[in-house]
Amino acid sequence: MKTRNAMIAAAALALAAAAGTLTLAPHAVAQAGDSMMMAANSMGQVWDAFGGNQEAQKYSTSTQITPDNVKDLKVAWSIHTGDVASGGHSTTWGATPLFVNNTVYVGTPFYRIFAVEPDTGKTKWTYSASGHDGPPENQGYKSRGVAYWAASAPEPGQPCQKMVYVGTMNGELHGVDADTGKPCAGFGKNGVVDVNAWLNTNSKWKIGLLQPPAVYKDTLILGWAGNDWVYKTANPGTVYGIDARTGALKWTFNIIPPEMVNETGTANVWAGISVDPETGLAFLPTSSPSPNYYGGDRLQEMPYATATVAVDAETGEVRWSRQLVHHDIWDVDTNSAPTLVDLHKDGQTIPALVQATKMGFLFVLNRNTGEPIYPIEERPVPASDIKGEHAAPTQPYVPIPEPTTADTTPPVSKLADLVSFGECSRWKARLRDEGRFTPPSLQGSISWPATVGGVEWGGGAVDPTTATYVVNSDQVPQVYTLIPRDEANKQYGDALRGKGGYAAQAGSAYGFKLENFLNMWGMPCWAPPYGTLSSYDLNTGKLNWKKPFGQVQKWGFYMPESWGSVTIGAPVITKSGLVFIGASMDSRVRAIDMKTGNVLWKHLVDAPAVSQPAVYTYKGREYVVFTAGGNGILTPRLSDQLVAFALPQK
Amino acid sequence: MNQGHSPRGAWLIVIASIITMGICVYDYYTPETGLIGTGGVVLVAVAGLLMLLAALAMKFYTARPRFLQVFLIVSILLDIIGSAVAGYFLESPVIMACQALALIGWLMQVIGDATDRSVEIDEVEDED
Repeated sequence: MKTRNAMIAAAALALAAAAGTLTLAPHAVAQAGDSMMMAANSMGQVWDAFGGNQEAQKYSTSTQITPDNVKDLKVAWSIHTGDVASGGHSTTWGATPLFVNNTVYVGTPFYRIFAVEPDTGKTKWTYSASGHDGPPENQGYKSRGVAYWAASAPEPGQPCQKMVYVGTMNGELHGVDADTGKPCAGFGKNGVVDVNAWLNTNSKWKIGLLQPPAVYKDTLILGWAGNDWVYKTANPGTVYGIDARTGALKWTFNIIPPEMVNETGTANVWAGISVDPETGLAFLPTSSPSPNYYGGDRLQEMPYATATVAVDAETGEVRWSRQLVHHDIWDVDTNSAPTLVDLHKDGQTIPALVQATKMGFLFVLNRNTGEPIYPIEERPVPASDIKGEHAAPTQPYVPIPEPTTADTTPPVSKLADLVSFGECSRWKARLRDEGRFTPPSLQGSISWPATVGGVEWGGGAVDPTTATYVVNSDQVPQVYTLIPRDEANKQYGDALRGKGGYAAQAGSAYGFKLENFLNMWGMPCWAPPYGTLSSYDLNTGKLNWKKPFGQVQKWGFYMPESWGSVTIGAPVITKSGLVFIGASMDSRVRAIDMKTGNVLWKHLVDAPAVSQPAVYTYKGREYVVFTAGGNGILTPRLSDQLVAFALPQK
Repeated sequence: MNQGHSPRGAWLIVIASIITMGICVYDYYTPETGLIGTGGVVLVAVAGLLMLLAALAMKFYTARPRFLQVFLIVSILLDIIGSAVAGYFLESPVIMACQALALIGWLMQVIGDATDRSVEIDEVEDED
């Protein structure tokens, strides 16, 4: 019986989705500036950005909910927006609710904005952007929410001195009055900026404004999401500086060098952007160029791709950059906003940022210069055996803080191998598996960590008072196989995508197939845990604790906690010593003891909370608010629930 | 051979199976349970239905042959164990409690049957 249920448990992980040392010379241009005082003291009362604040710290000074009383946490209110897939098109809702202007604002996958009362959930107003009647051109119906801006010099009596912005997956940015929800006529054309109109080079699809813009003074900093598997040449990655009041384009930052735009594309910024309010630097996590898995046509240096790039938020001028993966042929985009924090070492205060990556590395850099605070080693990595490809001979390796992922692929799961009559071990034996940075191959390569990560797009959270950093991480290998063009054409014809994880990489010499490393029953072929939560002391670089996190649920059955779960979403930290996080496949949200990593409280919501919660205090009561929207990568369970938790009122 | 002299045992199994099916239907349609639309509760519901049928057969089909008696007893026990384990992994205390109830009924039934057989044998020996 134990075996039977273990089989069920393993099958539950039928994931839809399914490695000479040289210290790097910094690619840095020093940016003079004083160490800033982080905004921690002003937080707790508002949660006005995707990452809690523009520094992406995800930290609240609220102290009402503590490790001692969190067990009493109850639903304070819950609403359903109605914006959830009901048929042919899936929805993915990873929005962080904002609390600002005495209102909770949230954007939905159908491009609507809900403004609700913070203590009751009662809707104040809604705004509906157009464009969800038919299928979107780009990546489906997705949203990571809204951005908020308040004029630094408001005009009395005039509307739109405070605005909320929502993007669509069809490339529109809408700006509405934060008090009324009415479109701001002075923003773009009647409240809408057509960002697509600014991108005329190799336009293969409309850009998706998945991630809300970052805000610095009166400037919005906006990236976009694209589709980097299907074409060799595609929309080149750009980041825009936009006048927050008028929607006028102030500056453009081009990630791909001009001489390369007809050889590649994307390398865009689709994840969050953080901003240092003291220095005015915006930190851009850039993604990999297209086509994702074959770089034979883009062998030239592209230093801003798969990198962290610091630009002047007012001008877009690059101040420094650091490439995190050279010549990326694994689709390991830099996928989360760097978290800004001041570190204290040897009696000095160091302005730092932490850039988590899909490889499971935590790059701790001086945010003014880009220089590493902990050594970054340049280690030899496996060579490519693909004709035309030249994988980089070395890759950055970060030993401190300890990576969230191991250097070698997890062993084959004995159970999954047994019940599949040795399928897992036989398959693995046929694959290239040389640890981190094993290049894609014709025979198939185990990519570890793969494009799923490592750390996903939520990134980590930090307590700026102690420099304690908490981050969730996936432990998922995938199989990358290149297919020569002729053979790809025979199998898939002109299709841009096909069964078995095929992507054409049209225009290049190879098609590509991404497979989840699962056996015939859909069980993961690798041993658990499948996801972890870790805590680090960034002042020393030491790991405090690391534990399996979350639970897999399949067919209703909950798998052992020791297996953990693949997670999408991010944690937040409160001053009282708690970590709140959803992210798990089992649709539960949890409170974790910061000191020990133990789960102190958990509560079921309607779907996996693939987002990060907001924490705020309103009228003396502390609330923790989750969006429970789900993500088809994890489970089919989707929802439109916005749910707030609080302690019972006395 | 007159079997089914332990009606309370069979009735307990019937009650437990009905409650099991009821809670499965509730779980299947209620978002707050975390089990909405899941195959696990369908599986337990089907197991509950089979248990119900088996218990009713024990109750009302008194002239059943010996092999059927053994089959029903073994099947119900396996059903109880499987449903209990499923309830554990579904994190459903109600389903597990129902299986405990069913197990009590099963024990009553088995012990009752054994007693009946003993009495019958004694009666036959007396007639000799």
